[in-house]
Amino acid sequence: MFLALKELKHGKLRFTMIGLIIVLIAWLVFILSGLGNGLSTLSAATIKNWEAEHVVYENGAGAKFSKSLLSQSLQSKIEAQPGVEEVAPFSQAVIAILPIDGVAEGEDKVDAALLGIEASSFLHPEVIEGKAIEPTIKNGVVANITLKDQKGYAIGDVIAIDGSELNAKIIGFVENETFNHLPSLFANMDFVREYKYSAPGSNNGVEDAINAFAILGKVVDAIQMEKEVDGVEVVTKSSAINGMPGYTAENGTIMMMLVFLIVISAFVIAVFFYVLTIQKTQQFGVMKAIGASNGFIARAIVSQVFVLSFFSILIGIGLTYLTAMVFPEEMPFNLDPVLVIIYGIVLLVISVGSSLFSVRRISKIDPLTALGRVE
Amino acid sequence: MTLSMKNVSKVYKEGESQIIALDQVSMEVASGEFVAIIGPSGSGKSTFLSIAGALLKPSQGEVKIDNKNIATLKDKELSHLRLHEIGFILQTSNLMPYLNVLDNLLLLKKMSGKVTKQDGAFAKELLIELGLTDKFEKFPNELSGGERQRVAIARSFMNDSSLILADEPTASLDTNRANEVVSLISKEVKARGRAAIMVTHDERMLAYCDRVYRMEDGKLTLQ
Repeated sequence: MFLALKELKHGKLRFTMIGLIIVLIAWLVFILSGLGNGLSTLSAATIKNWEAEHVVYENGAGAKFSKSLLSQSLQSKIEAQPGVEEVAPFSQAVIAILPIDGVAEGEDKVDAALLGIEASSFLHPEVIEGKAIEPTIKNGVVANITLKDQKGYAIGDVIAIDGSELNAKIIGFVENETFNHLPSLFANMDFVREYKYSAPGSNNGVEDAINAFAILGKVVDAIQMEKEVDGVEVVTKSSAINGMPGYTAENGTIMMMLVFLIVISAFVIAVFFYVLTIQKTQQFGVMKAIGASNGFIARAIVSQVFVLSFFSILIGIGLTYLTAMVFPEEMPFNLDPVLVIIYGIVLLVISVGSSLFSVRRISKIDPLTALGRVE
Repeated sequence: MTLSMKNVSKVYKEGESQIIALDQVSMEVASGEFVAIIGPSGSGKSTFLSIAGALLKPSQGEVKIDNKNIATLKDKELSHLRLHEIGFILQTSNLMPYLNVLDNLLLLKKMSGKVTKQDGAFAKELLIELGLTDKFEKFPNELSGGERQRVAIARSFMNDSSLILADEPTASLDTNRANEVVSLISKEVKARGRAAIMVTHDERMLAYCDRVYRMEDGKLTLQ
């Protein structure tokens, strides 16, 4: 530490520049992870918020809600399966909504995800304003708060659903509920059914049609259940999330960028420290000649890299939070502190690890170089 | 004997041919003695210094520093030996550029563990003796060549090492500075009872030495 800190203090400009590189890399990593997290939240927040462990689809749906059509009458059979604690039906539709008296000048219709659940279901998120949906208010819906914050809808507003004669009434708001990149709009199952299957034959002849069941229960045997209940496929919640349209593609893209960024930064940082080490070959030779052990020099190098990277990454985190404040509100940016800490540690491990190349180099420096004339 | 070399040879292989850098060299230096080695370049002086300084192992013969045979020591024990028994004064630019004068001395103590208050006091005492009273906080690039060499001398005495090896300590200095530096080495060697070997081109400096050897084609002869 002694050497490390003294040198950092003495070579301010040089180490500031290297620190800056690490800051920039860290900054980019954190912003990308925030964007990735934001996108995946937008894509599937509602499913992620579910307490459920498994989701039941129609056989052949491939964990896609839009391809799955089941009868709600299966519920009692699924409930009877071993390990199942609770079962909740779920139905979804993509809609556009507009105020009942028409779209004002300069305004647009708003896309939303209409999600059918049962009023007392465990799929109903906690309302932060107004009240939850109930069977007695058949057309009552609970909307994600962004419809209020960004689109100006309020409790008591009656909204028209584009392409149908149905009206809904906003009775409450929830937060962080998005589905398929759209704000969620929770409604009674009957209401959704009325919207989706108003045309004869659109339910494929399935009685009481729904899209899927969410299952609560930690010890459910999915394979056994598929055998017992005809025509269903049972997947874990994370498979259901991966099945959301675009979810794997988006996440894959961001993860790919992150991985490349981290690999590239490992090389960049390693090269920087390596060049720095080679420049100091003579110094290390002298230190070895006057009796420094490899361990002593290695500790100096590693602790220097650690200190430099640690503070650079901290600054990177600070910058990321500052940037997040100026991002527009519609931007899907969502910093998860756990992810920030994980990526921070990954970056720290990478830069300290990359300095080990330099350490290897040092252990090979012959103290004879100190004499400056033995080749 | 602080340093004892018996029939030491060093042979470098260069392709098919062999280069004999040191040829059956024997020498003993006791504490309180200041010995000089002169000779043309390429005569084997550096090789001699490297072996005496435990930087290089001989091909043949026996080298004992403070009664320890260096042939039997591992790399780690060699650096320990260098740290505790040998003080090097090298040609130039051998101070850590980012440490001030005092820290350059204390670096040796850092290498062997903790720096105590006494170490700090001892370092200051050495620097005052060498006329660097007001230079404690200066960095090497703020010192003149002669001052830097004096810091190097102070550093070589820092760890109570019994053997001081000086490699062309006057190489970049004018006559006055060179005299000053060598007389300081001589004074410290006598006062602190160390053994010292100086390799030099500079025949002006031999007056300070107890004995002078000449090295030619790997052979060492007493003058």
